[in-house]
Amino acid sequence: MTYRVNSPQVISETVGGETIIVNLARGHYFSLQGTAVEVWQGLERGEAAETIVLELEQRYEAADGEIDAAVKKLLEDFLAAELVVAEGNGTVTVAPASSQDVGERVPFVPPSFTTFTDMQDIILLDPVHEVDTRGWPHASADASTGA
Amino acid sequence: MPLPMPPPAPETADGALDTSIEELATSFERAGRAAQLVERSIRIGDAPVRLRFAGEVLAEQLSRAFDHLVDDEPREPELTIHVWDSADSGTPPPPLPSLAPGSPRGTTVYTADDGRHFASRPALGQLSAYERGSSRAWFWCSNANELPFWEPAAPFRQILHWWLPDRGSLLIHAAAVGQSAGGVLLVGAGGSGKSTCALSCLTSDLLYAGDDYVAVELHPEPRVLSLFCSGKLEPDHSALLPHLPSPSFAGDGALEEKSVFYVDDRFPERMCRGFPLRAIVAPRVHGSEPQVSRRGPAQVLAALAPSTLLQLVPARQDALSAMAGLLADIPAFGLDVGGPTDLIPPTITRLLGELAA
Repeated sequence: MTYRVNSPQVISETVGGETIIVNLARGHYFSLQGTAVEVWQGLERGEAAETIVLELEQRYEAADGEIDAAVKKLLEDFLAAELVVAEGNGTVTVAPASSQDVGERVPFVPPSFTTFTDMQDIILLDPVHEVDTRGWPHASADASTGA
Repeated sequence: MPLPMPPPAPETADGALDTSIEELATSFERAGRAAQLVERSIRIGDAPVRLRFAGEVLAEQLSRAFDHLVDDEPREPELTIHVWDSADSGTPPPPLPSLAPGSPRGTTVYTADDGRHFASRPALGQLSAYERGSSRAWFWCSNANELPFWEPAAPFRQILHWWLPDRGSLLIHAAAVGQSAGGVLLVGAGGSGKSTCALSCLTSDLLYAGDDYVAVELHPEPRVLSLFCSGKLEPDHSALLPHLPSPSFAGDGALEEKSVFYVDDRFPERMCRGFPLRAIVAPRVHGSEPQVSRRGPAQVLAALAPSTLLQLVPARQDALSAMAGLLADIPAFGLDVGGPTDLIPPTITRLLGELAA
C-alpha cells in the first residue's frame, strides 16, 4: 500500500532528529520521534509501506512481525489524523542489502507519535477558505465560497 | 537572499486579479479625494514603508502602533499601503465573498495568483490585498470606528505576512526583548507567558520590540525587527505587572479596547526598532522562580510554528522551513516563569550575557 502526504494542508519539518507536522486544516500539530521520523521520511520519498517496513527490518532487530505491526499502527494513526492519504498498491522497491551500508542492526524502538490539539481553536474561530479567483474577488458579490 | 514566495493558491484564470487590483486602486483614489489624504512614512528594519490613509480617523486608528518606526528622512518606499473605509469616504465597498450561513465571524477567504494576494474577512467588513510587482497593498474596512481592538494594536498583519518574505523576512507570532547587541524571541501560544515575560521587562534595562507579533530578518544574520509598539493587557496582568495601566474588561471576560496600551507612551526609552537575534525562548507558566533550560530545536519549533502559521494565510511549507532553518542556527531554550515577574528580566539578561561570552 502507498500513502502520500496530505499536502498542502499538511506541512512538516525535521530538526534535531524530531519531526514537527502541522495539519493546517484541523489546527492540530504533531511530534514524531525515533523510528516514526524514518517512517515519515519514507512516506515523503513516496515509498510504499512494505518498502518502509523492509528498510526498518534491515536496520533494526525485532521479533517477527513487530516492525510490520508498528508501522501499520502508525499509518493508521496518520490516516486518522488526515496526515496522509491512501493511494493504493505501490511497487515495493528496495535496493539489495549488499548495496546498502546498513551496519549492525540495533534493537527496534516503536515509533513515537504525539498529537497536540491546543491550538485548534484558532481554526475553529478563524477558519480559512482558499478559493479560485474565478469566484472572487472580481465576480458577483454573491459567489459562494463553499464554506 | 529573499525567501521564495509561497506558491499561489489554486489555479486561477490568467490575469484574473489584474482588474481587481486596478479596481482597488481606483476606489482608494476616489476615497482619497472624498476624505482628507494623510500620509505617514515609517521604516521597518531598513525598508521604507509609506502608509496612505483616506481620512484622519483611519490614520489615527491604524498608524498609532507604528509611531516608534516613524522615518524622519523618508525615502522611496519599498511598500505603500493604501487604507480607506466606506463610512468616512462614502465609496462603495469592494466585492466581498459571501459566507455560508453559520460561518464563524472570523472566517477568512483567500485567493492569489502569481504575486498577488487577496484576503477578506467579510463578516468583519475587511479586505487586504497585495501586489508584489508594484510593491502596493490595500486595506479596506467598512467603518474605521468599528474596527475590533486588535486591529489598531497590530495593523496590516496580513499584508506584512505577504510582503516580508519578499525581502527575506518573516512575520512571527512572538514577543521580543533584548539589548542593542542582541535579544530573544519569546514564542508560544496564548497563555504560555510570552506576553507577561515581555511586558515584565519594561521596568528593566531590556529593550522591547513587541509582545505579540514581530518580524525576523533572516539574512545576513537573524535580526528581530519591531513592528508594533502596542502591548496587550491580559486579565492577570494587573496583579503580576503593577507597573502597567489597569486593563478594562467587559463583563463576559472579553478584552475591550482599553486592554491595549502603547508602550512608547509610558516607557519610551524601552521601545526599539530591533536587535540581532541570539536565542529563541519558549516560556511556560511553571515553577516558583524563573528557570532557563536548554531545549531541542523541534520542541521550540512546535511552540513557534503552529501559532504563527495557523493565524495567517497562506500558511506554506516555505515558512515552516524558514523557521526550522532559524532554529538550526539559533539556540533554543525553555523558560519557566511561574514565580515573581520581577525576576524575569535579570534571568533573560543573564542568558544573553552567557550567550555573548
